[in-house]
Amino acid sequence: MIYTEFKELVMAAAASRGLTEYELYAEEKENISAETLNHEISAFSSGNVTGACFRCVYQGKLGYASTELYTPSEAERVVAAAMENAASLETEGEAFIHEPGDTYTKIESGTVTEPTASGLTELAMQIEEAAYAADPKIVDGSQSGVDFHRNRIYLSNSRGLDLAHENAYTAAYSSPIAREGEEMFSGFYSKLGDFAQLDSQEIARKGVEDAVSQIGARTVSTGTYDVMFSNHMTAALLRVYSNIFSAEAAQKGMSLLAGKEGEAVAATCVTLTDDPFCEDSLVKIPFDGEGVATRRKDVVKEGRLVTLLYNLAAAHKAGVASTGNGVKAGYAAPVSIQPYNFYLEKGGGGTTEEMYERLGDGIYITELNGMHAGANPVTGDFSLASAGFLIEKGKKTGPAKNFTVSGNFYQLLKDIALVGDDWELRPPMWGSACFGGPSFIVRGMSIGGK
Amino acid sequence: MINKALLTRVLEKALSTGADFAEVYVEHTKENNIAMIDSKVDSITDQLISGVGMRIFQGTRCVTASCTSLEESDLLACAGRLADALDGVPVNRTLHLQERLFGDIHPIRVVPGDSSLKTKTDLLKEGYFAAKNYHQDISQVRANLLDVDHQILIANSDGLFAQDRQIRTRMVVNAFASKGGEKQSGSCSPGRRMGLELFDMISPKSIGEKAARQALTMLSAGYIQAGKMPVAIESGFGGVIFHEACGHSLEASSVAPGQSQFCGKLGQQIANPKLTALDDGTIPNAWGSMNIDDEGTPAQRKVLIENGILKSYMVDKLNGRRMGMESTGSSRRQSYLFDPTSRMTNTFIANGPDRNEDIISSIEYGLYAKAMGGGSVNPVTGAFNFSVNEGYIIRNGKICEPVRGASLIGKGSEILMDIDMIGTNLETAQGMCGASSGSIPTEVGQPLIRVASITVGGR
Repeated sequence: MIYTEFKELVMAAAASRGLTEYELYAEEKENISAETLNHEISAFSSGNVTGACFRCVYQGKLGYASTELYTPSEAERVVAAAMENAASLETEGEAFIHEPGDTYTKIESGTVTEPTASGLTELAMQIEEAAYAADPKIVDGSQSGVDFHRNRIYLSNSRGLDLAHENAYTAAYSSPIAREGEEMFSGFYSKLGDFAQLDSQEIARKGVEDAVSQIGARTVSTGTYDVMFSNHMTAALLRVYSNIFSAEAAQKGMSLLAGKEGEAVAATCVTLTDDPFCEDSLVKIPFDGEGVATRRKDVVKEGRLVTLLYNLAAAHKAGVASTGNGVKAGYAAPVSIQPYNFYLEKGGGGTTEEMYERLGDGIYITELNGMHAGANPVTGDFSLASAGFLIEKGKKTGPAKNFTVSGNFYQLLKDIALVGDDWELRPPMWGSACFGGPSFIVRGMSIGGK
Repeated sequence: MINKALLTRVLEKALSTGADFAEVYVEHTKENNIAMIDSKVDSITDQLISGVGMRIFQGTRCVTASCTSLEESDLLACAGRLADALDGVPVNRTLHLQERLFGDIHPIRVVPGDSSLKTKTDLLKEGYFAAKNYHQDISQVRANLLDVDHQILIANSDGLFAQDRQIRTRMVVNAFASKGGEKQSGSCSPGRRMGLELFDMISPKSIGEKAARQALTMLSAGYIQAGKMPVAIESGFGGVIFHEACGHSLEASSVAPGQSQFCGKLGQQIANPKLTALDDGTIPNAWGSMNIDDEGTPAQRKVLIENGILKSYMVDKLNGRRMGMESTGSSRRQSYLFDPTSRMTNTFIANGPDRNEDIISSIEYGLYAKAMGGGSVNPVTGAFNFSVNEGYIIRNGKICEPVRGASLIGKGSEILMDIDMIGTNLETAQGMCGASSGSIPTEVGQPLIRVASITVGGR
């Protein structure tokens, strides 16, 4: 059964049970991907998946149920289950089915080149061969891959809202292994783009650079250092800590930014923006998981917290309008709050090399590991395994590894001394949000090493 | 879920361009997740995951495809997409699917799907309020009750037709303590491959209290100073150290492509002679257990390291072909959307020769890691990290004040040699492990151990 038929059955089942406020949200995902190993295509895969989530207001509460099986009995089941689930909830006054009337930004779809299976495997092989060719230290075990994704979202509700959106992109990566003596070093670089625009040479070169530059890395001594976080690490830190900007987290005592709107929460060189239409992003979306129009906003402007991010329920509680950040992490998930393309704005500190000079002596951190465990998104504390480079007299010298950097994200925001101009938006890692920014400098951070 | 006649046609279609092996994995999974926050039942999600994942092999080349639809035309189209990736001719053979029954060693007394929402929310509330009412400084609690009923069917061109039903239940309580603008968290999250009878064994009250106690302890803790020092790691979730530092590097998915620090080391001394470690998917009702793996191979008990000598890797069919080894029943996938590969099940360090009190008293200055958080590893370099959720300073052989913000980092091959004392109180704990084949339930475990010297991150 196709989705439109299933939708009709669900909507009819909802109406026949006397429901007046309900919504059906569905996702369709297509992907093809190829992966290489040791000069060959080792894996090729394709997927075609779909799922739908029914939500309804019942007894004043919002119940959910979802399915991947589009059959008449499932159409009945999701409606009955959502009603039963709603009845068991204890959160009244937070149930909203959005009305039509928003102005949705039209997104230019741009060019989408859909790769053929052979085109996809060719590009993967080109990256693989370019990686081997880039440096004699690259050995077997190195891999490359290319994935094409097409995602469609449908949202229809009982108030007459009927929305659809599609995005498509290709992701390509190189994950080479360099060997020096008995030691191995792994590199990684990935890029999102239109298939026709992806440059196999550039992807391979950056992956190999990442692996080879670590050769000879030493551990640094325990102590206090001035630290420069690379632009990729800016993205990584924002990714793990973006939830502190959620109004829901603040209202539930899970963010120390509660009640701080309008106040200074960061150094004046810090401006954080959430832009669902960011030009550099391939993941743009005109409406959120509740059907509210999305929009660009400064979250922190020159150090001052302008607004938290809101969905309908959190906005209602605070007496403000939703910022259009009611996001579902997958079709079956409840609506939570997330940014879209969330980034630190350029701060005038110059290029990466100019930032080394501004740092003077210190550590340039290009890798942070174990973020899911070593960074607590509620308390802000972090203590993370890191790698990077020593900066001496404004120049990048030897690689450094096997050390930790510790601090607290709330304090870090206030301690940022300088923000560079080497801005980059990173591809989504989990969920759909992209994070980015330039490199930045913090003085006097705690480093654990030998 | 799908009858044998149709499965046979799908397999034949998949084999039609020269593949030497074809497999169909059918899944029907019901997941229920009840969440509480702010002392209220806040959300209930209820999901049916249903679909098919198919694979063909030609030598060591693998082609995979998945689809949600179970309709005949869609299944055959999906098999056709697989076949399109190869351009050979079919190997002449007759396909006869023969059902195999491997039995079920994981009895379920109370199937969660048959229990009322009221029964489940009552259990969750007991855990929730045990944390919330534990102390006035507990400012917030978040708690979830998850139950999963995972039915799988595997058919392949070797004639295998096997099914399994895997039910699991877990309660997660996160408690937050606040005082003077500071906030600290604590958590407890036991799970089993069983039904709601889990809570006859482990009371929800004890789960909530444990989470609250940890948050309160950390609220009064100072930060640990970074440096290299001896560390005593407690039993239970402390086993995450072996999981990260060694386990992932013994998975064939790392070993076969040459991406592991332990390639070619079978039969060699890779760990301290006191250390024996196992991966055992056959423990009745344990969180990481199963009757058959996701390729239909029965679960096994494997000695990975015996007295420091590397004895076995964890192997799936595809990587087994690359390594010239048989499957060890280690192939796992989160769902039909993920390609299966070798993964851990219940992985633990066995009891050792040392008395627990001797381990603590042997440390002049160091860290006692009572409760661990998660971690990660790069199997290529062996560089691992993990966080300490509840730590204490050891001074002159005695456990002293609590410290927060500690993380442990190192290199797998080095730490295995540095685990130089192993105690006798083996316990296990549950987690979700994420890797290329998705997020799967795995159990870790160990007795109290001493690591002679390791870098502790702090400030």
